Amino acid sequence: MLHLVKLELKKVSLRGYVYGALIAYAAIAAFLLLLYFFEGSDSSAPAFTSQFEMLTVVNTMVCATFIVYSSALLSGLVIGEFKDKTMSLLFAYPVSRKQLIFAKLSVVFAWCFVNIVLGNLLIGTVMLTVNGYVGQVGGELAAVELLRHVGFILLQGVGAAGMSLLPLIVGLPRRSVPATIVSSIFIVSIVNSNNNGFSLSSIVAIPLILAAIGIFGAYLSFRNIDKADVA
Amino acid sequence: MTDTIRTLMLSKNYRAADVVANVNMTVKRGEIYGFLGPNGAGKSTVMKMLLGLVRPTGGEIELFGEKLIPGSIDHLKRIGHLIETPAFYDKMTARENLELHAEYMGYHNKESIDDALRMVQLVGVDKKPVKQFSLGMKQRLAIARAISTRPELLLLDEPINGLDPEGIQLMRGLFRRLRDEWGTSILISSHLLSEIEQIADTIGVIDGGRLVREVALDEVRSSTTDYIEISTANAALAAYVLTEKLGIERFKQVGERTLRVYDSHVPQETLSKTLILNDVPIESINRRHHTLEEYFFDMVKGGDNHAASRQAGA
Repeated sequence: MLHLVKLELKKVSLRGYVYGALIAYAAIAAFLLLLYFFEGSDSSAPAFTSQFEMLTVVNTMVCATFIVYSSALLSGLVIGEFKDKTMSLLFAYPVSRKQLIFAKLSVVFAWCFVNIVLGNLLIGTVMLTVNGYVGQVGGELAAVELLRHVGFILLQGVGAAGMSLLPLIVGLPRRSVPATIVSSIFIVSIVNSNNNGFSLSSIVAIPLILAAIGIFGAYLSFRNIDKADVA
Repeated sequence: MTDTIRTLMLSKNYRAADVVANVNMTVKRGEIYGFLGPNGAGKSTVMKMLLGLVRPTGGEIELFGEKLIPGSIDHLKRIGHLIETPAFYDKMTARENLELHAEYMGYHNKESIDDALRMVQLVGVDKKPVKQFSLGMKQRLAIARAISTRPELLLLDEPINGLDPEGIQLMRGLFRRLRDEWGTSILISSHLLSEIEQIADTIGVIDGGRLVREVALDEVRSSTTDYIEISTANAALAAYVLTEKLGIERFKQVGERTLRVYDSHVPQETLSKTLILNDVPIESINRRHHTLEEYFFDMVKGGDNHAASRQAGA
């Protein structure tokens, strides 16, 4: 199984994706820093009222970005192989089709999860450090609160990674890369949209349920793959 | 000796349409089997069924003497294939593509990749990404990939497509070599007899999803009929002379100016002499061989009856 995952990584040129992720981190950080400096505590409606809120916003942005980014990887690994007809090559190998697909989806899942955790860690640290020097957002960040947030990020990482597989339901039958990516944006806009500080993803149970839906959806789209005709 | 491929009443239909119907074919070990049929006859579908890419809706497949059961994948290790267009991971180099193939096939002999590239004469470009390859080069690379794991069975769907004459010559030689040196069984499909008649040991003719006939080529060559072809400006008069003066009944008019005489009891000299004496304007008179092409064309035309009678008998 690990071998299959390694072979998948060979195909996607991981380096390009890693650079892409680094650029995404930088862009998110830059955007938040702009907000921080120009919509700071002086204005009537400050961007961040507390350090905790700052971390929450970081998390929301990172999740949204990497659900969409993962759908690009998903398109490359799954939809692209169908479009380029390399899937019929893969399915004629002495390897179980379910394992092949499982390897692909694990790559996407892991990619999404790792990036969400890493992104939160890096960008969160940058924001807290900058605030440590500038001190625009006041108040203390209790260790307990921080710890709880870390736990929340891990859970949400799993949730988002599961959800990142959901676009398959739309994209796979159509063999369409755009449909996959657009549906991932759609998912993000529902799950992460912020209504007066409340978003669906802020309740822990919801990302986990959505993850379950995502994984189940991906399972459904590949359930019959052993019996399917690959044209 | 077990046969490499045997199918029994192999069928595939999509909804109501039969794409492949009751095909019984046998590919013997170490032979080149030419799979001949017009476009859309079902050649690719049969090959895909052999690879498990398409699921038969009826019948059985036996590969290497073992019946194929749904979900069995072990036999795929022993098969190399090129089905339809050659598909690659375009951004990877030629060599990386072959290495990836070897990994998936579970075949770990690095030398075989060099050998395969050498056999199709793609040495020196193996470090280039495949997207820079021309169609002909991709075709060669696909063949290299198919043979790089030293398969016992090669399934090649129109492998000559996109190759230049030199490439075609090279591949013909290669296929013969694989058969003679490695004992590889090769199933080659084509819609042109001329492409495969030079290398095939057996030819299976498929049309409209049905295997019309399966014959050893040697057998066909010896059984193809001779005839005398007469070119004349007055075919009607010639026909009259043939029947009335010479008592020949087995002849046929082909086009406006040509007659073919299948009766061999009248010598050619008599024939020409009688025709001339009766004022038939003769342009030429020749003894001819019924070509393989015509033989198979006739077979496809008469194939419906043949298949129907066989089904009735089955």
